[in-house]
Amino acid sequence: MKAENILEVKNLRVKFPIHGGLFLKKVAEVKAVDGVSLELKRGETLGLVGESGCGKSTIGKAIINILKFSSPDVEIEGEVWLRTDKGEVDLLKLDRGQMREYRGMIQMIFQDPYSSLNSRMSVGQIIEEPMLYHTNKSKAERMEKVAWLMEKVGLQAEQSKRYPHEFSGGQRQRIGIARSLATDPKIIVADEPVSALDVSIQAQVINLLQELQEEFDLSLLFVAHDLSVVEHISSRIAVMYLGNLVEIGNGIDIYHNPIHPYSKALLSAVPLPNPNKVKKERIILKGDVPSPINKPSGCAFRTRCPIAKAECAASIPPLELKKENHFAACPYVSYDTIITESIENKA
Amino acid sequence: MAENTTETVQIEEEKSKKVSTSIFKKRWKKFKTLKRGYISFLAIVFLYIFSFIIPLFFGRDALMVKYNDNYYFPIFKFRLASELGQNIQGEANYRLLKQQYKQEDKGNWVLMPFYPYGPNENLLDELGEGNNPPTKPDFTHWAGTDNRGRDVFVRLLYGFRIGLSFSLVVTAFSYLIAIIIGAICGYFGGKVDIIIQRFIEIWSTLPFLYVIIIVSSILQPNFFLLIIILTMFGWIGMTYYIRGEFLREKARDYVSAAVSMGASNRKIMFRHILPNSLTPLISYAPFTIVANIFSLVSLDFLGFGLPPPTPSWGELMGQGLEGIDNWWLIVTPLLAMFGTLLSITFIGEAIREAFDPKVYSRLK
Repeated sequence: MKAENILEVKNLRVKFPIHGGLFLKKVAEVKAVDGVSLELKRGETLGLVGESGCGKSTIGKAIINILKFSSPDVEIEGEVWLRTDKGEVDLLKLDRGQMREYRGMIQMIFQDPYSSLNSRMSVGQIIEEPMLYHTNKSKAERMEKVAWLMEKVGLQAEQSKRYPHEFSGGQRQRIGIARSLATDPKIIVADEPVSALDVSIQAQVINLLQELQEEFDLSLLFVAHDLSVVEHISSRIAVMYLGNLVEIGNGIDIYHNPIHPYSKALLSAVPLPNPNKVKKERIILKGDVPSPINKPSGCAFRTRCPIAKAECAASIPPLELKKENHFAACPYVSYDTIITESIENKA
Repeated sequence: MAENTTETVQIEEEKSKKVSTSIFKKRWKKFKTLKRGYISFLAIVFLYIFSFIIPLFFGRDALMVKYNDNYYFPIFKFRLASELGQNIQGEANYRLLKQQYKQEDKGNWVLMPFYPYGPNENLLDELGEGNNPPTKPDFTHWAGTDNRGRDVFVRLLYGFRIGLSFSLVVTAFSYLIAIIIGAICGYFGGKVDIIIQRFIEIWSTLPFLYVIIIVSSILQPNFFLLIIILTMFGWIGMTYYIRGEFLREKARDYVSAAVSMGASNRKIMFRHILPNSLTPLISYAPFTIVANIFSLVSLDFLGFGLPPPTPSWGELMGQGLEGIDNWWLIVTPLLAMFGTLLSITFIGEAIREAFDPKVYSRLK
């Protein structure tokens, strides 16, 4: 594990078996994540983007180790190394009891601010709860911290007696953020934290996340499908397609000069807010995303790739270094190769 | 302008002072607006609380006796007749004592309850010449007397207390079991769920009435035995609902959030999921209470219920069926049962309405 990394995901595979037939035998499996390796550096924001169903949320949930809870028959392979004060630990090897010790370090912000807060608990109780499990604070100290956190995320401390249904979506997401900060975590996995919110509220919440990240020196894994959001917040971006990473690199590089054919197509779909600018050429991919139940052999993207060759079916292409800190999983592209003219049209 | 800003500040302050309302409080508010259910609720609660102080108003023991310058409170303490100067064996009969004191005119007196008859008291001696029990309703015995010469009206009142208490206890215990088993099934799922569900299916095929008949032919049924038997068969239905609620709630994000913050299974089940799973339980509770009152009445009617001389509606109806001419023995317990069950059903209806989620999911 490299010194600057706080979290390393190595060759993570997550499969959800599908049972069928008379005796409910395993008939197929959904390869939600198919061999993903990631590094999260201390204090950075890693944006994880991809279409719906490409496995980006699954990675987040695998890191936080809650997949086994919601689907007990899930098969998880690989390693998730977390650097703690006492050394490095592979979270996937831990059972729920052992994992509890590290939960305070690594917290999650959920996508849906409506279902992620228990509607029977007051906001104060919700934010207080993680402290019950991870600190020995007294009731007064906890309430003090609740008030402090609420102010930090832009809510009024007096509102702690209220219930979640008395808040708007954006405010609820702030409550979720305050809850995730209650145990002073090192890492926060934000699973599409703004995709359920209005655009105007999205900006507020993202700016809040950025401020908090600087203040608390957080490492943030930011899962999203909205590229402009990711570009705004992330120092590095990882692009996923059908359970594989296809490209990873610095945010500016990926956003303005993607290499992988899929990243190019994905980024060409980002709408430009300025109508006077020349529209870049949309790359329209043929066909649909294949089902993750029977993924294409070799490179998963080859069925839709404009530059696919026969060799692509042979094996899954590994991530190759294309430029400093910029990797792409395609042997036929390089940093200088220009397949379309899209880049020139960019500002 | 300055006034305006102070005004807005004031409004803001008022807003922040606004008392927060939990969902339960909202539902309670809504329940209060449903007049029929709310009035029934108040009536039943009042009657039930009142039924614990019935002896002060309806009973055979005098509230207070003055005898030879001493004051006695027989309602709290058993008194021998001889202690109070009455010439009968055993406990004093305060109605006769009152007459006796009046005739003697020595300044002694007896303060009787408003309706001076007890539920298990045999009134054969006091019914008067030519009146054999059961006697028809009249002004002294509002609902007549039964075939052992006991006052029916008082028996109905005590029957209400026993029936409702019985039903509340059975409902509480069977829901407790249902919550525990349903929660385990729904929360852990998988093999645990399958095994428990099969066991429940086998258990639910046991014929309830036969078990009761067999048990009461071996043992003399009493209040607690009946509670145990009815609970044993009463928990099954609610288990399915609780299991379903747990299955659904378990998949919600707030449960994942609780797992990710390191909450234990017990905490998640009872602090997070259970409070969100109580809707079917609360909406069914009044109907279960009704059903349990009805079960007790049926068992008493068939003679497998509470042992005599416990005042009971079913036993009165049974008597009425023996001599169909004694219409009051059928009509009065039926009316009492009808009134009670109807009011509780009204409560149930109002609770269901108050818990209807449509009101809250509306966008504002």
